[in-house]
This record gives sequence, C-alpha cells and structure tokens, in this order.
Amino acid sequence: MPRIQDIGTFNEVRESGMAKLVPPVPRIGIGMGTCGRGNGAEGVYHGFAEAIDRTGAEVVLANLGCFGCCSEEPIVNIRVPGRPLILLHQVQADDCKRILTDITTGKLTPDRVYCKIEEWDHITTHIRYGPGYPEIPHWHEVPFFKGQKKIVLRNCGFINPDDIEEYIAVGGYQALYKVLIDNRPEMVIEQIKASKLRGRGGAGYLTGNKWEFMARAKAEQKYVICNADEGDPGAYMNRNEIESDPHSLLEGMIIGGYVMGATQGIVYVRAEYPLAVHRLTRAVEQAREYGMLGQDILGRGFSFDIQIVEGAGAFVCGEETALIASLEGYAGRPRPRPPFPAQKGLWGMPTNINNVETWYNVAPIVMKGPAWFTETGSPKSAGTKVFSLVGKVHSTGLVELPLGTPLKTLVYDIGEGGVNGRSIKAVQSGGPSGGCIPQEMFDTPVDYESLAQLGAIMGSGGMVVMDEDNCMVDVSRFFLEFTHSESCGKCVPCRVGLNKALRILNAFTEGNATSQHLEVLDELGRMIRDCSLCGLGQSAPNPVLTTMRHFRHEFEDHILAHRCRAGVCQELALSPCENSCPLHMNIPRFLQLYKEGRLEEAFESVIMDNPLPASTGRVCQHPCDNRCRRQSIDEAVNMRDVHRFIADSVLLSDKYEDAVARIVARRMEPTGRKIAIAGAGPTGLTCAFYMAMLGHSVTIIESQPAPGGMLRYALPEYRLPKTVLDREIGLIEKLGVQFAYNQRVGFDVPLNELDDNYDAVFIAIGTWKESWLYLAGTELKGVYPALNFLEMVAKGESVKLGKRVAVIGGGNAAIDSARTAMRMGAEVNIIYRRERKDMPAIEEETEAARQEGARFSFLAAPHRIIGGPDGSVKAIEVVKTRLGEYDSSGRRKPVLTDEIQRFDCDAVVLAVGEVLDLDFARASGLQIKESGTIDYDRFSLETSRPRFYAGGDAISGASNVSNAMGYGKKAARIMDERLMGVQRWHDVFPSFEYDRTVPHETSQCRRHAGHHIPVSIRMRAADSIFPEVVDGLTPLEATEEANRCLRCDVKTVGAH
Amino acid sequence: MTQKKLSVRIDGELVNATEGQSILQVARAAGKYIPTLCYLEGLSSVGACRLCIVEVSGSGRLLPACTTPVQDGMSVTTNSPKLARYRRITLELLFAERNHTCSVCVSNGNCELQAMAKTLGVTSIRYPHNFPKLPVDLSHTRYVLDHNRCILCTRCVRVCAEVEGAHVWAVTARGIQSKIVSDLNQQWGEASNCTSCGKCVQACPTGALAEKGFAVEEMTKRSDHISMIAGRKGVHA
Repeated sequence: MPRIQDIGTFNEVRESGMAKLVPPVPRIGIGMGTCGRGNGAEGVYHGFAEAIDRTGAEVVLANLGCFGCCSEEPIVNIRVPGRPLILLHQVQADDCKRILTDITTGKLTPDRVYCKIEEWDHITTHIRYGPGYPEIPHWHEVPFFKGQKKIVLRNCGFINPDDIEEYIAVGGYQALYKVLIDNRPEMVIEQIKASKLRGRGGAGYLTGNKWEFMARAKAEQKYVICNADEGDPGAYMNRNEIESDPHSLLEGMIIGGYVMGATQGIVYVRAEYPLAVHRLTRAVEQAREYGMLGQDILGRGFSFDIQIVEGAGAFVCGEETALIASLEGYAGRPRPRPPFPAQKGLWGMPTNINNVETWYNVAPIVMKGPAWFTETGSPKSAGTKVFSLVGKVHSTGLVELPLGTPLKTLVYDIGEGGVNGRSIKAVQSGGPSGGCIPQEMFDTPVDYESLAQLGAIMGSGGMVVMDEDNCMVDVSRFFLEFTHSESCGKCVPCRVGLNKALRILNAFTEGNATSQHLEVLDELGRMIRDCSLCGLGQSAPNPVLTTMRHFRHEFEDHILAHRCRAGVCQELALSPCENSCPLHMNIPRFLQLYKEGRLEEAFESVIMDNPLPASTGRVCQHPCDNRCRRQSIDEAVNMRDVHRFIADSVLLSDKYEDAVARIVARRMEPTGRKIAIAGAGPTGLTCAFYMAMLGHSVTIIESQPAPGGMLRYALPEYRLPKTVLDREIGLIEKLGVQFAYNQRVGFDVPLNELDDNYDAVFIAIGTWKESWLYLAGTELKGVYPALNFLEMVAKGESVKLGKRVAVIGGGNAAIDSARTAMRMGAEVNIIYRRERKDMPAIEEETEAARQEGARFSFLAAPHRIIGGPDGSVKAIEVVKTRLGEYDSSGRRKPVLTDEIQRFDCDAVVLAVGEVLDLDFARASGLQIKESGTIDYDRFSLETSRPRFYAGGDAISGASNVSNAMGYGKKAARIMDERLMGVQRWHDVFPSFEYDRTVPHETSQCRRHAGHHIPVSIRMRAADSIFPEVVDGLTPLEATEEANRCLRCDVKTVGAH
Repeated sequence: MTQKKLSVRIDGELVNATEGQSILQVARAAGKYIPTLCYLEGLSSVGACRLCIVEVSGSGRLLPACTTPVQDGMSVTTNSPKLARYRRITLELLFAERNHTCSVCVSNGNCELQAMAKTLGVTSIRYPHNFPKLPVDLSHTRYVLDHNRCILCTRCVRVCAEVEGAHVWAVTARGIQSKIVSDLNQQWGEASNCTSCGKCVQACPTGALAEKGFAVEEMTKRSDHISMIAGRKGVHA
C-alpha cells in the first residue's frame, strides 16, 4: 500500500476497510484482548478457524478488541449481512461448530446469546447493521451497559486492532486530515480548551491550558508523550484501550504534535502489557506505511514520528518527571516542579505529557466540536470516563460513564450489586492513591471535585468494590504496602513516613496497636500528604486517611476489642467460624473432640462456650456458614447441626445428670457479689450462666411466669420444643441462679432498689412491642401484632383466626406467624413489600413455609384493612409497589404505585418489626438513644448509670438469639472484671488436649443437612402439640460433617 | 543580561530579590532562618529532605524553599505551628529510619542532624525504630562509609558529580531500601573513579562519611569549604 497523499486514496482505503468490516458474507469476530485470551478466546478462535476450514463455509473470521464486560468473556460477535450484530458471551471452544452451523442455517441457539446491536455510533462515523431478532435484548437494555456512553471506547470490540484500514473505515484519521487541511493549530487548542477536557490520568488538569502552555514554548525540538504506565492494582482501562483501538491513540498524539509544534512522540507503556505493546507496535508500523506518520503526513507537509518505550516496572514512573528521568536513562525518580515539563522536559526540551485516555478524546472533539463534548458530563467535568469496575461486585469490567454519574449507578445498576447477595461496604476510587468511599455516600456524583471532597480521587479510574468480608484496616494496609514498596526513596516523608505508617497499620492488624497509634497515624498521614515531593507520596496516605475517617469504628475494634469483624486479620481470630460467631464458640475444637469419639468433652466444650446449645442448634442464623472456607471446595460445614447433635446427645439422654454435675462442679468459689439481671431471655440467661460459674450470686427478674423470653414465647413449638428449652434452663437453675417471675423491672421493682441491693445490674429485656403500622382498620377485631399472636399461642390461649389470614412482613416473626397460623388450620397469604431475595427471614424457614402451603404476595404494601359490620376483619387492600432507587441498605426502595389489590381475609397478623417498650425504657431512668434503644458504651456495655449494664435487643434493637447471647457473654466478662478487679474470665473454661493438625486428606463428603419431616406429618398435632419440623443429624452424618472441617484454627504446619 | 528585580514578602517583611533565585536564597540573604539538611550552597537543590517547606500565600500546598523560585509579589511564611510540627516529624522519621546512636558517633557534637534536632526541639521519637542491619564500608584507605548514619541527603552524590566531576556516588534500590553506592556497587576502596579528594566526607552532614583515625566526637567537617570551592568553580549560583 502506498502512502496516502490525497483524499482520493484516503477514500479508497476507507472503502476497502469497510468491505472488511461489513463484508457481504457473515463475519465472526472474537474479542481477543488480554481478558478474552485469559478466558480462552484463543481456543475459540482456533475452534472457529478449524470449523470454517472443515465445512468450507463462506464466513470471515476476525480478531477484535474487547467490548468491556469482563465477567462475560469470551465475547464473540456475529454479523449476518442485513441483520443486527449479535453478541454471544462465555463462548467456549466446543461451542464453535454449533454456532457456525447456526450461522449458515440462519437460526440462533439462544443459550450463549447476550445482546444485539442494530446500529453503532463510532462518533466519527455511524454504522447501521440492520434490524431483526426481536427476542434478543438491545445492548443498552443489558444492565451492564445501561447508561454507558462510549466515546473513548467507541471502537473497542468492533474493529480489528491490527488493521489500520478498519480504523479508517470507522472514520479514523479523518480528524487528523481535517486539522492538517485547516492548518490552524491555534483553533484546535481553542477547541480543546472550550471542550473543558481534563487530564484523565488523575489530577484532572485542563488539557487545553496545558497544550497552550506547550504551544507557546519556543524551542528547536518539542516532544509529546503518552503516559501509558498504568500501574494501579485493579485498573486496566489503558491496557484495554490500546489493545482494542491503538490507532485512536496515535491519531490523538499526531494532532497534538501538530498543534503544539512537536515532531516527536513517545508512548511510555508498561512492559507488563505485552499484547498492548505488540498491537501498538503494529499500529505504528502500519501508520508509517499508510502515511500517517513519518515525513509529509497525508501529503500536507507535516512530519512527526512515534517511538514506543517500554517502562521498567516502577509505579512512580507514572509521575511525569519520573517518567522523563526514566526516558533519559536515569532511575525513575521525580524532581520538583517548577520547571514544568512544558518549559523543561525531556532532554531539557518542552514536553507535553498526557494520559492514554486524554489522547482518545482528541479526535472526537475535533470532529464533533466542543459544544457536543460538553453536552455529556457535569459542568466542571465534561465528557466521559472509563472505569474499571472490579472487586466484590457481580458484574466486572470496563464501564464508560458520563462524568457526574452517581456512584450507586456504577455499583448497583451496572455492577448489579454484591456477589451472592453480600452487602457492599465501600468503593476504593483511584487505586492506591485514592480513597475509600463508604456505602452511605454512594449518592456522590463521580467527578473530580466531588471525589476530592471525600478525600478520594478519580485517579486513572480504578473502582475496587469491597464488601462485608473486607476489613478496612487491612484494605488500607494493603494499599499502603503497595505505595510503600513503590516509593522511590528520594524524599523523607514518603520513604520513611510510609514505612512507619505501614508498621503502625501492621500493629493494628496484629492486635498490638493502642489508641495513641490512631492519633500518630492520622498526623503522620497528613504530614506525608502535605510534605511529599511528588504525587505518589502526596496521595499515598489517602486510603489510610479516608478509611480512618469513614471506618473509624473498625480501627477501634482492632485496638479496643482485638476484633476484626470481617475475619481478615488472622492474628485476631481463631478461625473464620469462631470470628463470625457472636458467642465466639471454638467450633473446630468441638468438631475435633467429637471426631475423636469424646462426646462428653465435646459437650463440655460446647456448653461452656454457649449455655443454650440445643436451642441455638435449632434456631441460630448460623453466620458461621457464610464464612466457612470449605465453601471454596463445595459447601460450608454444617456446624450448627453438629453442635445441636452433640447437645441433644447429652441433654436429652441419660448422660444429662452426669454432665450437669460436672459443669456445676466447675463453679468457682462464692465471691459474695450480688448481680441482678432484668429479663430471662437468651441474653439474661447467658449472662446468668457465666456470672454463676464465676461464683457470683445471681437473681433474674422476669415479667413472664416462666423463663426463656423469646425462646419460649416467640419461637413456635415446631421449631424449638419447650422440653428442650426446659432441660437447658434446668442446668442454669442448678447453678444456683434465682428467678423472680411476674415482676417488671422499673415498675414492680424500682431501679433504685436494684441499685441498693446489688453490686451490678444487667438490663437484658427484649423487644416485645410490635412497631405499629398507621393504617386504617388496625383497630378491628382480628388484627394481631405478630409477637402477641405467637405469645398467646405459646401460652395455649385461644386465638380466633378464621379461615384466611394475611401476614404482613418478611422477617422471621412473619414466617413463624404464618406457619403457626397454618397449623391452626388457616390459609395464609404473606404480603411483603420487596422481593423474596430481600426477605430478612432465614431462607430455609421461608422455603418450609412455602412447602406447607403459604402463598406469597411480593411487591405489595398494606393500604387499609376493611372491617365488616360486626367490627371484625373482612379483607385487606394492598398497594402494589415497584422497586425504585437503591437505599442506604443496598436494596432497592419499594415505591408505591396506583394499583390496589384486595384480599378477603378473617385475620391480619402484623409482623413489620419489633421495638423496645419505651415506657419501660423511660421508667428505667437510663439514657435512651434516638433509635429507641438504651444508650451504652460500645466496648464496656455500660449505660448512663454507673454499675448498670445493658445487652441484647435492649441496645441493638430486635436481632436474633445468637447475637443476644453474645451480648450476655460479653457483659459477664466485663462485669466480673469490674467487680473483682482481676481477669478471671479464662479460669472458668476447661482446657482440652486434642489433635491440632490439618487432616492429611480432605474429606470428599458432601454437606449433610438436618432432615425436614414430611409436610403431611408435620402439620398433624399430637395432643395439640405440633412435632418438631427438622430432625437432627444421625451419628454417622455428624461424624462425616466433623470430618469435613478444614481446621482453619491450625496455623502452624506440623513437622510431617 | 540583567536579571529582573523582584520584591517578595518573607514573614511579612518586604525584601528584594532577583529573578531565578529560590525562596531559600532570598530568605537567607534577608537573615531569615529556614532549616535545611539536603541543601548545600553551591550544589544543585533536590528538595529531598522537606525540612525547608514553607507556606506561600495563594498556594494550597507547602513548597520546598530550596527549589521554588521566587515570583514577584510572593508572600512567604517560614514558620508556623503546622510547619514546626511537620519539620519535627521529618526529623523523627530520619532518626527512626537507621541506627543513629550519637554516643558512639565520630560526629557527635558536630552533626547537622543532631544540631537540627536540638534547634527544632525534637527530644523523643514516637515511631517504631527500624534498626536495620547495615554494613560499614572500611575498604577505602582514608575514609569510612557507615550506612547506619546515612540520611540519604545525596550531598555526596552531588558534590562528587558537580564539583569533583568523578561521579563515584549514586543511589541504588528504592524506597526504604535505598542506599548510597560507589561506582557500580563496588566497595569504595575498589571504586576506580574515586580521586580520594574527600569532598564527599566534608559535604556529609552526619557521621556517615568520615575520615579514618578519628574517635567519638572528633570528626569535624567543613561543608562551607565545599560551598566556597563550588562558588569559585561557578557550578551553581
């Protein structure tokens, strides 16, 4: 091909390119970026090549760039003449033959189809592929692409990056031609200035001003440089841009060189991007061949060439002065500015450096004008930005959005929220130089100013999503470790300051930090930020400073409670399961003891960690499951059911008396201290157990006639038989705990009386009051608050429900009420305002309710309850809802619509959440928080009144059994320490000798679950008592489960 | 060519300056004190120790006085509670980085780092010490290089390159691992470029570079001679 010297030849090349892009025969394009190749795109390419060879089909095969949706790779796009472009996702090599057959026969197998594109705006040209396939969604209807606007990525995934003709076909090098013909460089600079384009490398300096500065500099030689030294962990937009569309970069640089008076361009690209380097080298060769580079470009007399330089792998070389030093052959260390590169840059000559993405915006602005460009984005930040969305998010990939788009659009709409329903905690914007933005602030528009206000930066565009499994202390440590190891060592704040900050953060993660460290770290972070020489040091403390600002409680947890809630910091936890358990049960220990055939000791281990093991073994929400590392092999170990099995095997057998005698014998000598506990629910009982074991004299004051609280009165018999509960509480009674029933603290027993007669008081009352819904008809006969309803049933009082019952709510109380009502012979309809996946109830319970015949009406909120003439319920009207924007819980907010539905019913159970009885709270004389719970110190559980402590629902609001018990246990530890002035806590617990090695072979056994008895049996009552629905494990199953444990508690590898 | 005359305010006082001068030069000429460690008159400025940071009104950033050129009408504050705090942190960091044990150092009593700590009131270090295991290079017949006492100011690197022209010294590795090396990371005694002129020893602010044969407290240095020689050679204004 001769060099293009006139418009005629240019158009000929364009035609020839178009013939390749839209050939008269079908074309199969395979996304062959690094991400595609990593997922097997090369195999797919060869698969197609072979299939085409074998069948002799008339099909063109092409190698393309990447379309951005990394989690869907490999992407294959298919075009049959006159029809839309079809995108297939997750294509594997063995699909090729079938897909080729589909193309030649004209039908489409739907399983790999992702979306279709009927027309595409390349900005510099517009291609219509044709209509068709009504059943396939348009690309912009797929959540990942909704709201995206592709300016920078305009050609990525469409053209063959190794073929300049295809680039010219989509309007490439037109902008260059136009600029050269117009011959008014100053006009181009004016255009760039008017477009308000800002540097996409991070700092966001106005590109037009930078160009003008450089254009004015007088020198024999000037340089333009593209900074493609992309080194942030989790950011790869530049790699993909170069791999998919290298000519756009070259065109931008040639235009820049022309208008700024430079004749030499340099691309400084990461050596770790071999494919990008390869494609860019090809592109430069082709551009020279076609007359876009070299002497007399496009026959207009301008000469310019581009050289590619591979970096040597230092992050700091992204800093422009360090990059120049590196180009000159020196070590990559920055120098102070001024002088700025535009005055004295490479080899002392004026030099302009721009980021890859900045260069990609040049040609579109030249072609469409600045007014078109400023239409997109926010007033101060025009245009779009490409983000690499990675981390704990469902859909990952490259996303190009108008600047100013709220962060929640990026995370929830495009990324589709957390992985496996986990809740997202924060986003790290701008990589190691950026900051953490907490989930509550996801309304923030993503532009330069808004992010800077939060202490973060846009940076090059890396967006790392973090969820509940990420420890923010560890996250900041991770990023600091990176910048610390990349510091060049020239200036003191960065070289030594980062080293000290890292050592302090290490102390946090190892549990060796003190409160003073927080202050020291904060001051040091600010000093490094304000005093460092270059951008690396100035921005390196951002992750630490922002996490300390937004997640201070996590830092405090590490220092004051030696606790890493996410379970990341290994030194602070025994194992992930122990760390997630509110009672911090030593789970691996009881599994191992049981495995060794030592049932009695396993029981002792269990009950000393958890005084109500049979109850929790049935009703615990088992947070341990979510953290179990066995999930990476198959499923979590069923720890809850083994623990239930061990408890049942002793508590419900003839071993009971012996076991109880052994526990009672462990009780410490009487201390003479008197403790009062308000409430005999799980919190109070747990606290009483430990306080009694520690030798204190304990009295529980309970408003009900029997102990157990929610366990007795809110949990139905079919989930937790009362006989089981009685056995457990029997043990606590045997420890000498006194119970005073039918007495309410604050009413029957004044607080001052407690103050006078006891050494410490623990408030452990439950949330017994239903939060009332203000809707018409709640005064009617047949409307019940859920807990009242369950309590009445538990006490055996008669409740008139009628035939049809509507239950409002989606939590455990709603499901318990529904299943109880069905056992009373009613038909039940559960009405919930969100979707099933949003229900807070335990999933197994919801499923069991469905099997037992409950019907569900999702996306419906109660409107009013309609009564008959006798004042009893006749029907309920609900308003249909639709899901609107994401709220601060990361779920979509239900929005009321106009559509109203009516359900006839005889009773309504309201289960919309429980709160603390405020009358009591006021009577207690304790300070109450706005949320309606008792105010307390997070670490000591102390209330506003000295010697009065509080725990459980009283401070947390309605929660669950294990959380409540966790507070009881913690309160016992703290109260004892305060009362006795010494640490005696660990003396209560027996020690066990057991095997502490990792099993040689991992058990291949699958998870065993408790057995649900058939619906026909479970709905039949014997003596008006309904049978327990879930049977425990068999001894063999329990052993097999114990064998599945991977022993994360073993941290040192044994000698063998 | 006559250089443009400028007028600058330093700590509120109006002083005259010439275009191209740094804030530090102007401030020193006006008798104002700005602490420095890596700066040595006569050598090029690198802005590495960050002790000379000052506040310049209109700029949100703290700027190093040694490398920032003055501009007409500039208003500079050389000391403030914030600057004093930051400078103290910088010194603390230097002390915690390597093994600065004054009581056994040849430069005890004649050390710029020690003197600076006294001037700025640094009496204790709040950061964990690194206590790195660093070698002492005794291979040169006349001089010693003790990495334990080095603060990486790079005065030796610059004096050797800019005044002596021998280019013996350089910095190797990066970050906290950075280290001064002679020639191609050889022992100093084997560095063929070295003229044994001793300028690096005289330029060194601490006891890192010293002459052999001196005991504790005995080594005194004449960095002012370096500035004088450099001035005569016209290396840097």
